[in-house]
Parts: sequence; structure tokens; C-alpha cells
Amino acid sequence: MDFGFCLSPSSHVKMDNVDLTTFNRLKETNPDINTCIACGSCTATCTAGHFTEMSFRRLLLMLQRGKEDEAKKMIQRCMLCGKCTLVCSRGINIRKILLDITR
Amino acid sequence: MNSQIFHPFVLPFVLGMAFVLTYCVVGLLRVIGQLSKDDRKKFWRSLVTPKTAWANIRDIVGDCLFHVKIWKRNPVLGYMHTAIAFGWFMIIVIGHIMLFTLKPLEGVDVEGFPRMFTNFYYPIFFKYFAEETPVFAFLMDFFLLMIISGILIAVVKKIHSKIVGVKRIMHFGFADNMIRFALWTIFPFRLIAEKTNIMAFWWLYSIDLFVFMFMLPFTRYMHIPTEALFILLRHAGLKPREPRKGYALAQIYSCPSCGLCIDACPMSVNDKNSGNTSAYFMKRLRNGDKEESQRIAETCMQCGKCVAVCPVSIESCDIKMSQREAVPYAINSDHSYLDAYESNETSNASVLYFAGCMTQLTPKIMRAMKQIMEAAGEKYEFMDKDGGVCCGRPMLLSGKTVEAQAMMAKNTELIKKSGAKRLVLSCPICYKVFKEEYQLEGIEILHHTQYIDELIKQGKLKVDKNGTNYVYHDPCELGRAFGVYDEPREVIESIGNLRKAKSEKELSICCGGSLGSFKLTQQERDEITANSVNDLMYNNPDEIVTACPLCLKTFARKAPVAVKDIAEVVATNLI
Amino acid sequence: MKENILIIGGGAAGMEAATQLHKMGLNPIIVEKSEALGGHIAQWDRLFPAFHPAKDVVEQMLDNVKDIKTYLNTEVTDIQRNNDGFHAVLSNNETIDAKAVILATGFDVFKAERKQEYGYGIYNNVITSVELEEFFRTGKDERINHPKKIGFVHCVGARDVKVCNTYCSKVCCTTALKQACEIKEVFPDAEVYTFYMDLRMFGLGYEDLYLKSQKDFDVKCVRGRVCEVSEDMDGKIVIKAEDTLFGKPLKMTLDLLVLMCSMEKNKSIDAIQQKLGIANNSDGFMQNKDMYLGMNDTAQEGVFVAGACTAPKSLPDTIGEARSVAVEVYNYLNK
Repeated sequence: MDFGFCLSPSSHVKMDNVDLTTFNRLKETNPDINTCIACGSCTATCTAGHFTEMSFRRLLLMLQRGKEDEAKKMIQRCMLCGKCTLVCSRGINIRKILLDITR
Repeated sequence: MNSQIFHPFVLPFVLGMAFVLTYCVVGLLRVIGQLSKDDRKKFWRSLVTPKTAWANIRDIVGDCLFHVKIWKRNPVLGYMHTAIAFGWFMIIVIGHIMLFTLKPLEGVDVEGFPRMFTNFYYPIFFKYFAEETPVFAFLMDFFLLMIISGILIAVVKKIHSKIVGVKRIMHFGFADNMIRFALWTIFPFRLIAEKTNIMAFWWLYSIDLFVFMFMLPFTRYMHIPTEALFILLRHAGLKPREPRKGYALAQIYSCPSCGLCIDACPMSVNDKNSGNTSAYFMKRLRNGDKEESQRIAETCMQCGKCVAVCPVSIESCDIKMSQREAVPYAINSDHSYLDAYESNETSNASVLYFAGCMTQLTPKIMRAMKQIMEAAGEKYEFMDKDGGVCCGRPMLLSGKTVEAQAMMAKNTELIKKSGAKRLVLSCPICYKVFKEEYQLEGIEILHHTQYIDELIKQGKLKVDKNGTNYVYHDPCELGRAFGVYDEPREVIESIGNLRKAKSEKELSICCGGSLGSFKLTQQERDEITANSVNDLMYNNPDEIVTACPLCLKTFARKAPVAVKDIAEVVATNLI
Repeated sequence: MKENILIIGGGAAGMEAATQLHKMGLNPIIVEKSEALGGHIAQWDRLFPAFHPAKDVVEQMLDNVKDIKTYLNTEVTDIQRNNDGFHAVLSNNETIDAKAVILATGFDVFKAERKQEYGYGIYNNVITSVELEEFFRTGKDERINHPKKIGFVHCVGARDVKVCNTYCSKVCCTTALKQACEIKEVFPDAEVYTFYMDLRMFGLGYEDLYLKSQKDFDVKCVRGRVCEVSEDMDGKIVIKAEDTLFGKPLKMTLDLLVLMCSMEKNKSIDAIQQKLGIANNSDGFMQNKDMYLGMNDTAQEGVFVAGACTAPKSLPDTIGEARSVAVEVYNYLNK
């Protein structure tokens, strides 16, 4: 039957009511989280990213766009090796943030 | 001499003593009760095994009585501590020996005051109740003065610690300050009481003893009765499993808060961070301050220097690890994707080289290792030239022991499949976990410093001698963790002149880049790095050489001279 | 007698300041540590945004200063303030008494070896932007051998805490696109990629340069920082970066990798700077008095700054500052 419209969910990020609880919690203990310029170094060097979709840059964005479930799934791939922290040109303590997210 | 057999002033002492003895017995049962079954078995067995039993006796005499390790660290402090502790011990021993010189006092048995009871306090207040023979009187005075000389040094240390070679001392709360005051005054009071026989001083002396013993279990002085137990447990080969139970508890009470680790800790370069040192960590644990001890445990770089300098050999790094393991996590890792990963390389190489994650970021090391192995004519294979699986140590360092297993299993599988008999690593972080946690029977695990040293000694590598002055930085996980001190130095000496750093080998200062710390900020790390570089530049070397990709990257930011990996130095000087 | 002004540094800033002071009737003296005037710009082939030959500009500047007293191969070894200004000792043991000092010491190029993961000095096919410019100027570089795929890495040694440089080096974005176009001119068959975070095309004609690079030269811009460089079996360069717009890490094999090295403070002047009492700013360059109205002044009276010694600057910026410093010095002397 054709009702003339469809009910597929909107693909928009709902910025009007984004749940930033996790992100704000992280920001409290890691203020430099906001200095990220999304250069992607962390993703490019990621040991787990070699095998999976793991990307810290995207993970941060997910948390800022209310996609917490996706973020929580992604972070399970992390090996915590610390390469991301070593290459981060902003000096963000990524390894600690990754650990904090899983708490 | 007073021909009495009892005076009320002995009561405070008797009470205090009774309290402390009861507390110790209960504590002992508690610690042993908290050990796991296996650990307890190990413990009982170690007591009757001749080798460990001998080690127990040796260390209890050496450490508890003569404080050999403090002497080694700082002779002034060694004397201070020996004067007080050994002096006191001797006074007690001599006091007891003197009991045998006593003639039965008239009327003792008549009044129903058994000797057994007087023996409890006689040695402590001997001079009040009985006459000392001249030899004993001399010995007693000698040791009493020795104690007082020790206390004088302690007072100087408290007022101006730099005179005795200590930069930073512990800061204590009320209880610790009070018990220390009691300890300092016990002996002068005794001396005055003995020499003048003024009643008030006998009372003061006894009350001081009461205060000291009553507060003992709640302060750092608990290390006096606990250290012996800790030595026994340590020799049984136990590992702390929970941060405040069993073996760890024995360690917590054995920590004398001497603060030697404060100056040693690389973090202390910033005074603000000296509260993050092991001495404070143990104190927080003792006080049951969970939040702070957790924070310190996660700030620590796990460089192990505090353990190296500790006069009691407290394994604070292990306790911090057990503290990390105690944290609950809401999200667990899932590394099942590794199952699908297969290495498509098949080779008949005899040496497998695993660069590791960090070395991927220092291509110079990888290239140098390639040149070296080729020059030596080795049959080798790079295990992770296209990016491998993390060794698992960084995950272990976070306390997630179980979650590191998948990575370790995958690497084990890949290594075994390769058929190589030797595994060479460039990263000490990997080296530590491969050595300690991996089950790789029949495969020799080497760090490249050891491997290169061997190749040179076997004549497979020939290097050119030049006039460069090098200084070598000991990476924590290679030096302090495994004692690999000589191999890299011999390699460097075959190429150039080796200059000494200010602090070397087990005293070397962490570069500041350690993966062990989660909480240190970049700025705090930079301060540590700058301090470590200063230490290395002590004898004006032309180049800094290290053997860890992380040290290399960390130093390269701050060093005024070139920083190189040992492999790079060798590769550029091959003939 | 005309008043002496000591100008340390004979690059664009030093020469232009000297030219203007000379016109004002003062007596500028240039002390240059290298064997020729011109500074970095003399090593450059063409200038952005319009591919203007650098030689033209340099030659005109040299012509402007031909009557001005100049010391080459000379450094200031000591400088002291006296009642009447400054007393400077040169490395050739001559002395200069000057009323005012202008520091026009410019910049050093970031040493690419410091960013080891980029493989400069390790792999043969990794070169710096300066070396590429040298190739354009002289046509000679053994490492550049008909490359088919070329990559440019932006922000090498800039905006990077890990090398202790947090600032933007200002000119590299434009230079990268200029060089990308130029190398396409030399090797029309080559594919050229630039790896950028932000393309900062802020000046007159810069955006046109960007459009030109897209329309006429098909320069492919990938948004992501290169973070690892390695070598494959054939000696080609393999880079790793994330294509952040596509959201996936990428790997790419290249024949040539060009590192856009940042500007750093010229450290050879540190001793003299210290003697004059001029501090560094948070980026490690010289601290001027005020970024708006006191950009040529320093905390020390009579000591002036111009050009890239205070921050990374383009050539037009530098020339503008050199002219303004001349006015400042003139006003200072006539106070």
C-alpha cells in the first residue's frame, strides 16, 4: 500500500537534544579534549584501526553528536597501545580519555 | 636503687605493650588469613625450604637489625636509623640479659609477686629496681647515648634535611608527628630518670612508651614489627593481588614512610607532584583513602625507581598495579576480530624481529636493525612490518589483565607459527611483557641491545671505533626491570667513548614518556624529560644513546644534542 | 655626522629597513652572517601567489642597498648599551657605535629530521619544501627522478606540540599549493596530493592560487595529517594518514614526499638577544612590545624588531614591517 509518505527514521543528527553526558564528563578531567583539530593522526596510526573501524577522531565526534552507543561499540576494539597519544599533535592524553570512556 | 618490686609508673608501659602485642597477633592472623590458598601454601613451604629460610634469616638480620640498604643509600641516614633502632634493640636485649644477674629479692615470693610478671617490665626500668653491674651499666649508657645521637640527626633532618643529603622529606599528619615526638623524648627521659632518679621522669618515660606503643599500629612505626613478616612473605615469592589485603597489607604496614623514594621519584622534579610518590601512596593506602590511592596509582609511571631505592624493598609498583586492577570497568574490550588475522608470511628465518607499535614511529630503529641483521648474515624476518598486534603490555598497565590475553594469544600464535628460535625486540615495553607473561617455550627472547652485543662478540658484526662521546640512558623496562646494564654499555664502548650520566643504571631517571602513567599531563612529562636530559648531559656528551623508541622520541623533543637508538649508532658505524 | 643604525640580518627585512633609513638620511649598517645579502628569499625560485620570480625582487632590493655599509660573513659577538646608544663588537674585531639596533634576524627552517616518523634523512625520496624550491631554481636534485606520484605534507613542525611548536607557520599552505602547481608543470603526468588540516589561503590572490591549483593543475587535496612514513621493497615511500573527510585511514605509495617545513626562530642570535634583554614570546620568537601599535618596539628602548624574527611572516608582511620599523627608528631618534 502506498500512503504517499514513508516512516523511515530521519538520518539527521539531532543537535537540539544531544546527550553530552559522557563527553562533558570526559571534558572535566581532560580539558584539552577540545583542542582536537581532527587531523586524523590518531586514526591513521591506530594499531586496532589496522584491523577494524577504530578511530579516536570519530569516537570523539560520536560522543559530541550523541551517538554514544556507536562510540561504546567502537571503543571495545582499542588495544590501548598508546600510539595515538604519541602522534597527537595537540598533546591530548588520548590513552587516558579512552580509558575514562570505558569507566 | 629502690628495693621495691613494683611502682605504678610501670603501668602505662605495661598497658601499651599488651596492646601492641595483641594488635600484632591479630594483624598477623589477618594477613595470613587474607592470602589466597596457593599463596598460603607457598608461604608455609618457603619457611621450611632451606634456601628461602636462609634468605629470611639473612635479610631479617641485615635489614631489620643492621639496615644495610639504608647504609648503602645514605650512610648518614644509615647511622641515624641504626643508632636508634639497633641501639634500642640492644638496650632491650641487655636489659633482659641483666635479669639473670639479679639475686632473688627478699620478699618477692612472699608477697605473691611472681618473677614472671616483674620480668615483663624490669628490663625497661631496670635501674629503678635493681643495681647494674659496671660492665652492663657501661653498655646501657653507651647504647642510650648512641640512640640519642641518632635522634639528634633525626632532629637535624627534620629541620634542615639537606644537611643529611635529603632534598624532600615526608610531611606528616598529627598522629605521626605526635608519635615521633614521643619517640624522640623516650630516651632523653630515660637518661635523666636513670641519672637523677627523679620520679617525674620515670613517669614521663613510661607515659612516652605508652603513647608510642598505643599509636604504633596507626602510624608509620608499625613497620618495626611488620617488616620481618614482609621479608618472609616476599621470599615466598608472592605477588600482591589486592591493594589492601594479604601480602599488600603487610607491605603497607612495612613502609616506614622514610621518604627516600620522594627524592628518587622522577615526578618530584615538580614539587607539586612529590605527593604522588610511593611513600605517600602507601600512606594513603594505610589510611584507607581509596580515591587518592587510586589517583596516585594511575599517575605513577611505573619506572620502578622507588622500588630500587627502597630500604625495605616495598614493591610499590606491583601494589599500584593491583590497585589499577581493582577498578571496575563499564565497557570491556572485544578483540575477537584478531581471530581472523593471519600472517601470510611464511619463512624459514631463525630470527624473528618484532618492532612493536612504538618502533613503527621511529623508522630509524627499524632500518638500523635491518642493516645490522643483514651485515651479520642472519636469516631474519620482520614480524610486524605491515603493522602488527600490540604486545599487550599497555593494556596490562591499565590493569585490564584479562583483556590483554587476546592480543598475547595472537602474538604467541604468530611467533610459534614462524618457526623462529629467537625473538628480537626493539621496544623494552614489549620485552618486559614477552619475558614475563608470554609462554614461548623454546624461543629465546632478546632485546636488540643484547642481540647486537652478542653479534659483536661473536665477530659477526664489525664496528668502527670513533671519538664520539656517548652517554647511555637506561630504559626503565630494560634496566631496572631486567638488569640489562652491561650489554648496551659494552656495545657503545666498542664504538666510542662512554661518558657517565649523573644517575645511572638502577638510579637512572625515567625519560618522562612512560606508558605507565595515565594521568600525567604533557607539561608534567616535559618537566620530567628536561630533568632527565640534564642528568644525562652531566658530563657533556656529544650524543645521547638509548635503547627504547619511546625514550628516543621523548628525549628528542628536549635534548640539546642528538638522541639516537643504540641500533642506529651501531648501523652507522658498521665496517 | 649621520647617525648610525645597526641592522642585524641582511635578509628582506634588514635590506628594506636599511633602504628606507638611508632615504631618511640616516646611516644604516647591515651585519650579515652569511656570505651574501638576501636571506632565505634569495634561495627561492618563485613567489606565491602569482609565481613572480624571487630573483626580480631580490635584485631590486640589492640595488637599493648598494650604497649602504654592509658587513658580510660577519656576526655581532658582543653588544653593550652606552650613554649614547649601543656599542657593538663584530666577529672581524671591528666595532660599531649605533644610536639604535634593529633585529632583523628572520627565521630558521624547521629541521625535518626532528619529525622522525616522516623519514627525512632516512628515506631517499623524502625532501623538504626548501630543497624542492632549490630544485625549481637549479633543476638539480638526484632524488627527484620523474616521480609519478607526489605527496606534500603540510604543517611539518607547525601546530605540533610534539616538536614544541604550537603556532601556525603562515606561509606553508600557500607555498605547498604553489609548489604543487609548479611540480605539475615540470612533471605534467604526475599525480600530486597535498595532505592538509586547514588550507589557510588568507591573502590577496591566495584563493585564486587555490582555484588555479584545482582547475589548471588538478592538485588533489586530502584532509588529514600524515603520521607514518615507511619504505616498500622497491624503495618507494608508503605513507599513512587518515582521509578525515571520507572517514577512513588511507595508505598510499609515493615516489616523492615533500615536507612543508615550518619557520622557527633563528637561534643563532640568542646570545646577542639575551645581552640586549629581549625575551621570547610563547612561540619562541622574539617578544615585541605590542602586537598592534608596538610591533616594531621591544621592551628595551632603542632596540627594534622587524620581519620573521617575531613570528612567521610572508614576504609582503616582512617588507611592510621593515618600512614601519624605519619610521619608528626615525621618530625615536628625533624624539
